[in-house]
Parts: sequence; C-alpha cells; structure tokens
Amino acid sequence: MEKRRSPVFVLSAAVALFAGTAGACTPALQGAIVESAHYVLAYKASPEVGKHFSLDVAVCAKPGSPAPATLKVDAHMPEHRHGMNYVPSVKPVAPGRWHAEGLMFHMPGKWEFVFVVNGERMSQAFPLSEVIFTEEEKAKVLRHGPWPPTWRRDPSNRVSGRREAVELGERLFFEPHLSGTGSVLCATCHVPFRGFQDGRPRAFGLEEVDRNTPSLFNVGLYRWYGWDGAHDSLWSQSIRPLLDLREMRATPAHVAAVVRKLFPGDYEKAFRRPPPADDEEMLVDVGKALAAFQETLITGRTPFDQFRDALEGSDAVSINRYPMAAQRGLRIFVGKGNCSVCHFGPQFTNGEFADTGIAFFKGKGQVDSGRYEGIKKLRDNPHNLLGRYNDDPARTTATGTRHVELQQRNFGEFRVPGLRNVALTAPYMHNGSLATLRDVVKHYSELNEERLHFDGERILRKLNLSEAEIDDLVIFLETLSSTRGP
Amino acid sequence: MRGLIAVLLTAAALSVRAQPIFDAHLHYSHDAWDVVPVADAIAIMRKAGLRRALISSAGDDGQQRLYTAAPDLVIPELRPYRSRSDVGTWFRDESVIPYLEDRLKKYRYAAIGEFHLYGADADLPVPRRMVDLAKKFNLFLHAHSDVDAVERLFQQWPQARILWAHAGFDAPERVAAMLRKHRNLWCDLAFRTDHGSGGKVDPAWRAVFLEFPDRFMVGTDSYTPERWHYIPEHAEWSRKWLSDLPRDVAERIAWKNGEALFSSFQRP
Repeated sequence: MEKRRSPVFVLSAAVALFAGTAGACTPALQGAIVESAHYVLAYKASPEVGKHFSLDVAVCAKPGSPAPATLKVDAHMPEHRHGMNYVPSVKPVAPGRWHAEGLMFHMPGKWEFVFVVNGERMSQAFPLSEVIFTEEEKAKVLRHGPWPPTWRRDPSNRVSGRREAVELGERLFFEPHLSGTGSVLCATCHVPFRGFQDGRPRAFGLEEVDRNTPSLFNVGLYRWYGWDGAHDSLWSQSIRPLLDLREMRATPAHVAAVVRKLFPGDYEKAFRRPPPADDEEMLVDVGKALAAFQETLITGRTPFDQFRDALEGSDAVSINRYPMAAQRGLRIFVGKGNCSVCHFGPQFTNGEFADTGIAFFKGKGQVDSGRYEGIKKLRDNPHNLLGRYNDDPARTTATGTRHVELQQRNFGEFRVPGLRNVALTAPYMHNGSLATLRDVVKHYSELNEERLHFDGERILRKLNLSEAEIDDLVIFLETLSSTRGP
Repeated sequence: MRGLIAVLLTAAALSVRAQPIFDAHLHYSHDAWDVVPVADAIAIMRKAGLRRALISSAGDDGQQRLYTAAPDLVIPELRPYRSRSDVGTWFRDESVIPYLEDRLKKYRYAAIGEFHLYGADADLPVPRRMVDLAKKFNLFLHAHSDVDAVERLFQQWPQARILWAHAGFDAPERVAAMLRKHRNLWCDLAFRTDHGSGGKVDPAWRAVFLEFPDRFMVGTDSYTPERWHYIPEHAEWSRKWLSDLPRDVAERIAWKNGEALFSSFQRP
C-alpha cells in the first residue's frame, strides 16, 4: 500500500514568501506577495513535484498606475536554465483577479514564478522541497519534541530545584578543594565552554581514565548515569568522580571537611540545617547539591525545534526556513537509518543501552564491559535508589533499579547518549574513538555487522549511505544544537 | 553454631566454584587472533575453570591453533565460514563445500558448525551437501536454526546428532517438544538469560532441565574478540544458576553432558 504523504511540505513553499509588504495597495487575496514599481501581486498555489497545479492571482495598482488589465504567468528554474514543460492558461475571474491552470513543476528545486502585469515583469523565487515526509515519518519527527520539556524536580533529592541548593551546587562544581589534591574540580572535565565536557577522547582528572567525558547537557533528564549506567540518580553519579582515584581522589571525610570549612552557611541555606557530623551523610548532600545545579543545564531551542513545531502547527513559513539538507538528513534519521529507534523522544535517547559495534577493549587484555559491569556496580552501590539516601519515601524512583536484569547481552553495551547539542561535544562514543559527527555517521553507514550478534538488535544494519546522504545526516545532527547556552 | 554455618557456606561456595564447565559455544575467529593471542585464550579458559570447550572459528585456522596449543582443552568444530561475513550467504555459496572437504581431509573435528540456517534454506543444495559430509565423517551438526530448519536437517539425515545453538532462542515448552520428538537433539544455552536470571532457574526451564538433564550444555558465544574476556564471567554466572538445580542435573549440564557427547574426541 502506498504511504500517504504529508502535504505540509509542498504547501510550505506556497506560503513561505509572505514577507513582502503590500505597499501602497492591498491585493484582494491572501497569499505570497510580489511587488513591482506599479503593482502589488498576491498569489496562492500548492505545487507538488510532478503534479499539475493551479494558481490564483490578485493584482492591485499602486497610486497613479494604470489598472492591471493583462497577466501572463510562467515559471522556470534559473539554475537549470529551463522552464516548465507546460504552458499555463490564464483566465480573468474578476477585475484584478486571475486563475491560472496547467502549471507543473516537474522536479524539486529552486523554481521562480514570473508574472507580467500590463507588460511589467515581476518574479519571485519558489523553492520546492524535494523532501516529502510520509505521515509515519512526520509522526516520528513530532515525537522529538516539544522542547524545552516541563521541568520536574527529582523526588529522590530533597533539594532538587531549590535555588539555594543550585547556588551551592554551582560553587561546589567549580571548587578545586573538593579533590584530594586540591587541584581538580568538576569543571576540569565538564568544561562549560566545551559543552560541559573536555574535548578529549578519554577524560583526564588526575590521570587518564577509560571513557569519554559525557556532556552534562540535559543530564537531569536521564534514567541512568555514566556510560555503563552504574548510577541511578544524578546525585549518586555526582559522588563517583569525587572518590575515583584517577579523577578527584577525595574521601568522604575530606569532602565533608571542605564543606564544613568553606561552605557552612551555604550548606545551611540549601539544606535548612547545619552541616551534619556524619561524613557519609555530608558526601551524599554534596552530591545532591551538585545535582541540583546540573539539573539546570537544559539546552536551548534549536533550528530543529523550530522546524518540528512548525511541522506540528503546519506553519509553512517556518518549515521552509529549515535547510533542505537537514530535512533530507532528518528523513534518513527517522527512516532508513532507524536512528530514532534508540535516539528517541525530545532528548533523542531512549535512556537505555546498546551494543553499536564499537570495540570495547581498553588496553591489552582488558575490556570495558560497559552495562554488564555497570549493573553489578549499581547493585553494590550504597547510594543507589534502593538505599537509605533516597529522599523519595515512596521509592517510586527506584523502580528501574529494583527490576533491572543482568543479561548476557549487556556485555559491551553502553548508554545511548542524547543528541541535543551533539555538535558541541566531540569526540564521540564511550571511548571517544570517533572524532567527528561525520565519523559517527560513517560508522553506522559502514557498520561491521560481524561485531553484532546474529540474534542481537536487528535494527542495526549497515546503512550504505552515499556521501551526499552522510552530508545530509551530519547537517541534520548539527541542527540539534542550540545557538545559545543552557 | 555460627562458625559451623560459615564453614558449610564456604564449603558450598567452594563446591560451586569448583564446578567444571564444558563450554559448548566458543568462537576464535580471525579478528581475535591478534588481540587475544593463543596463549591468552588458553589462559582465559583455564582461569574460567573450563574442562573442555567446543570451539569453531570463521577462518578455520583459529581453533586449530588453539587445539595444537591445548589438545586437552579444545574440541575443534568446523565452521562453513571463511570469514564471519559468510554468515548470511554461505548456504548458497557452492565454494563452501570444497572448502569443507579440504579442511576435513587435513584436520580432525567433532562437529560442523556453528552455522546459521533457517527454514527452507536448510534444503538448499549447499546445506544438503554439508549434511552429507557430516554423515560421511560422523560429525555433529551445530545449528543456529529455527525449528523448521532443525526438522529439515533431521529429514535429510534421521540419525543426525544436532546441537541446537541457543536452544533456538525458543520458548522452553517448544524446546521440550523438540527434545521429546528427537532423541538425537541437544541444546546449548549460549547468549540467553531467560533460563537462569539472577542465579535462579526459571520454573518453565526447570521442568525442561529436569525432564531432559542429559540434553543441555552451557556456552559463552565469543562472537567478538572482547567476549573472550567474558568466558570466566559466564562460567561464574552459569555456576550460580546451575546451583539452583539438583546437584546431579547441574553437573550434567555444566560439563558431564559435553564430556559424554564428545567422548570420541578423547583427551590425548
């Protein structure tokens, strides 16, 4: 059965160019406006590639100009140096109104309408999108929004969303004394002007570690934390690098002492109690303040969001502003690329884990088993959401932790990252092994299926994209980045 | 009393740890040879407590190298793949047969497999000739197949001995039905978790294991080089869920079935 195609994109061009002003007179038709020295012309059309269409035109004369008596209509493609294959008929329907029939744009691209009123020529570019989305594809595109999402506090963190905790968390984020050596801060790896990561293949705190620093963009929206999902809350994850010997090399006692000495007032404001005597309790609260700050790192709206909302609202003007290459890339993303199956929803991730054929040796004779070890660490972690530090008395936040199953396929799986601001967070993959977005797209295009289990995830298949398709997909991914910071 | 309990628990743990494993589903394919050299591969298997292992490789030299290095540990099987990319094409590739014939002339094997074969493809000329070779050399068939293909293989050779890879990824009830129907069908449980998640045996699978204690084996499935480092983890994981079964059943699935089935391939 042929898939029904959305008319939205073809309508887009018809009303995309409303921008002109009516000048000294107003044509008796709402449509795209073209203006010459003596006339203002409005037209309305809904061309689709390869289909005959009609055109309604209204013309008014500017003051002192003769009334519009004759109209000729034509269209051509200046870059291709050819016109249409058909000559339209133009019939007057009222004074200053015409109806033209028999036009056809036989290919997508940059067309130009040409109108001749009383011998005076006027023209207007009319790009006709070659990207026609099916209803199914359109539905998939809409699922990537709206953005930004409605903010929700984390019930497992009693200071989530509290202004004083956000402020304390931000100070702690930039505080080197929290590290055991006094020389490393959270922002050493999560550099704000580098997309809250470090631009390195593998992170380097006090020593180089095995994995790429993930960006903190939209980090509050994740279900699991770390490439291996070894943590089930942002506050628990925030504790990990503090204690890791290769990252900040602190101890609970050290962290607690720093806060008691440098931030006692800030702590009291944030937690509405004096700093506790128990070091472990203080450590967890530091994690919760850090989490409160990081929850605020929500990315801004992107060109894709403008497009997505325009698509939803049938706002043809905005639809047509989205680059054609990005539209083609988006169609691959939700279509034959199957990217949106895992990179799902407004955050462009399903929040789970996958083996995408990336090698996971981390040195001679050593592998990074990713999610497999992550689940084991999660279960052993006293700071997980099943434990006493979860502030959610109902423990609804712990459902995933309670039910997650350790499976044989988890060996070598890593978290599916969100793609918002992805262009700002190179290099890519859990080990930073792919330097650019183009490298990532080529990885999937040339996927080594031999690395995937025959009964594993069947959506991962070699895409065999052309160079032009790779370009388009990269351009689409670049439109997922906001022009302003979080 | 506490001391006694501790001693008993320790003894139980040691008993579980000591359970040997016959790993019926390993590959040592061309992409593993450099990153997991033969000596490392052997060391991993010994560290994991493998008693023996049925090993095939895409690029048949792999398991031959292992066999040469550790004939007490390695049981070679012949895969009809020169590289793993043959996985989806081999059953229509006429050149597979002379390749198999050549290898069978040169080396000794316990089985042909693991091969991927589904449905009516099993009746194509290349698989048929492969079955003839298995018959001629009295070899097991290690089939990563659905029920349909397994049935077709038995139709071609009713006396065939088939090791059903991953138990066909099928439900325990269907696996049981197949085992009841075919006396010469055995299963490996590689790359599936449903039978023994969290160290506990699923009730439906328990019934099948108890009905057919002689028909199952465990396996790691090292389909990428990295998964060689999963072998010890898999062995431990297997010991845990096996310990939830009666001891004699657990021992059979862990290693005795493999030893019995491939007894013709004597240790040197």
